[in-house]
Amino acid sequence: MKLVGIVGSNAEFSYNRLLLNFIAKNFKKLIDVEVLDIKDVPMFNQSDDQTNSEVIQNLNKKIVEADGVIIATPEYNHSIPSALQSVLEWLSFKIHPLDGKPVMIVGASYDVQGSSRSQLHLRQVLDAPGVNAVVMPGNEFLLGEVYDAFDENENLKDAQTAQFLETCIKKFIRFINVVNVLQSPEGMKDLSDAEDLYATGAIDTTVEGIDMSADDWLEQAAEATQAVEGNTYVKLNRGLLTVNQLNYFLNSMPAELTYADSNNQFLYYNHHMEKEDMLAGRRPEQVGSPLAECHPERVFSSVSWVIQQLRSGKQDVVRTQVPTHGPDKFVVHSYQAVRDDNGNYLGINEYVQDIQPVIDWYLEQTGQQLTGGDVDAVSGATSKVDTVSGATAKA
Amino acid sequence: MKNFISILGSNSDYSTNRLLLQFIQKHFKDQANIEIFEIKNLPAFNKPEDRKAPHEVQELADKIREADGVIISSPEYNHSVPAALKSTLEWLSYTNQALIDKPVMLTGASYGKLGSSRAQSHLRQMLDAPELKARIMPSSEFLIGYSLQAFDDNGNLTDQRKIEALERIFNDFVHFVDITNQLVNANESHQKQAPSYSWEAK
Ligand SMILES: Cc1cc2nc3c(=O)[nH]c(=O)nc-3n(C[C@H](O)[C@H](O)[C@H](O)COP(=O)(O)O)c2cc1C
Ligand SMILES: Cc1cc2nc3c(=O)[nH]c(=O)nc-3n(C[C@H](O)[C@H](O)[C@H](O)COP(=O)(O)O)c2cc1C
Repeated sequence: MKLVGIVGSNAEFSYNRLLLNFIAKNFKKLIDVEVLDIKDVPMFNQSDDQTNSEVIQNLNKKIVEADGVIIATPEYNHSIPSALQSVLEWLSFKIHPLDGKPVMIVGASYDVQGSSRSQLHLRQVLDAPGVNAVVMPGNEFLLGEVYDAFDENENLKDAQTAQFLETCIKKFIRFINVVNVLQSPEGMKDLSDAEDLYATGAIDTTVEGIDMSADDWLEQAAEATQAVEGNTYVKLNRGLLTVNQLNYFLNSMPAELTYADSNNQFLYYNHHMEKEDMLAGRRPEQVGSPLAECHPERVFSSVSWVIQQLRSGKQDVVRTQVPTHGPDKFVVHSYQAVRDDNGNYLGINEYVQDIQPVIDWYLEQTGQQLTGGDVDAVSGATSKVDTVSGATAKA
Repeated sequence: MKNFISILGSNSDYSTNRLLLQFIQKHFKDQANIEIFEIKNLPAFNKPEDRKAPHEVQELADKIREADGVIISSPEYNHSVPAALKSTLEWLSYTNQALIDKPVMLTGASYGKLGSSRAQSHLRQMLDAPELKARIMPSSEFLIGYSLQAFDDNGNLTDQRKIEALERIFNDFVHFVDITNQLVNANESHQKQAPSYSWEAK
């Protein structure tokens, strides 16, 4: 499980940073925590939008990609420090990476109360409609009198405290799983089992007797089927190409193409780039694997849901935007049903594109501009605020 | 005639809290001189080792010390006090502690219906912290909701009831300042002995 830990302090030396480092080190077996600093984030200013700066985009990307977030907050004047407040303002102004994210709060402070008051404020901030994080209830982990809490190896001195922290972390792991189920497209239901993501069955075209997970599945399967390659001609509807021509043709498509069959086996991608250079990374050894081996378990329910939409014919294409590539790209994953002439479901054509160049080109050609920047964002926050305030309005 | 310093809690170029403070300045000009202090030029707080205030912060502290009372007007960001105002209070608490024992009145404006009520309650809790320890006027909530629509072209509040409420609170504040300053002065001998509070002096 991949988590990010946000250090709520911008101080050179921070006990909250120690606490997160301790969590990352001590619970390695349970979770993979990347600790992020907020020192370089500028002061929020509504009139000077810096959402697209590198620091903020980096935080955004890391949070979007994570399964959950741990925030460690000090207490400054009975509240959260301005540095942390400012980060949360940036992350609720034009972008909203914490929306729906499972969050756990911990805190270290000088007072015996150990950030109890700032943690309460932080809960309220995270609950505001522009942030809209899903904060784990209870399990308040407070580290008071923090100047005395760590030994010289930066471990928590008190075994009971470390034990309680572990209990909280374990609860958070379960909490993340519950939140994921809650937020899967069909609501409360976990759809992971609706599809055979391990491809245990077989269809007419399945090459049987070869380990799907083998790194050289392609070589083995090609041999077993005596597949043609190179300059051999293939007759298509309609045309005649050599296998090489067909490869070059598919590689020239302005998208990353992937074919998974109706047995949920990953059969093909137009491989001409290394994983690191792709918008949605794939490795040559993955070809042949069941879809379950191509995705982390937490998204099984969503993957199953997409396949169900296509298989059942409810939708012909499901699209999602993946916002983790920075502001200069608009990356869209389209899952397009592949059907035979009779409409039978054969599998998925997943094509991944950055459509930003097309949009830019369109705007340039037509001399049009995109509108809807500044004003909307703030009033957007406001109208969301309104819905909420109704419930708590004062007389 | 009283001398007040007011702190604009927004660092935004266009601010409805600025409009509110300007209205207060104009409306009560017979009772008080009110200076509006902009926080947008203050550096962001980052614990300095020497506990020294940058000159912009020192300037604010001096003005607070000289004033009879302080008015703070805050927007609401994410149900709390904007980072820019939090940062200002952190500077004051960590360096010269100029707000200690100062009479303070709070106002607030925000775009939403509740008009920063949640931000104000956070702000009260913050001002109560031992390194700030301001004397906040109790029972005096003054809020402007839907602040974008609250003022006319001349910067006047359009809702007459709001103006009356503001007048009541402002009059209270003028008395509150006198009473508080008497109280504080009566205690001054005791104050001098007690060193100012520091979280980190453990
Ligand atoms: C401006 C300021 C205000 C503070 N207010 C509080 C407070 O209200 N309660 C508290 O327990 N500690 C307070 N402290 C002390 C912090 O707990 C201490 O600086 C702590 O080390 C902060 O966490 P960090 O080490 O992760 O930066 C304050 C410190 C500063 C600089
Ligand atoms: C990041 C952010 C969060 C906001 N959150 C709230 C909120 O929780 N409640 C609210 O009434 N308005 C909220 N607003 C709208 C503010 O009321 C509005 O932006 C404005 O700053 C009001 O103060 P000003 O006109 O003096 O700057 C938010 C605005 C921003 C930029």
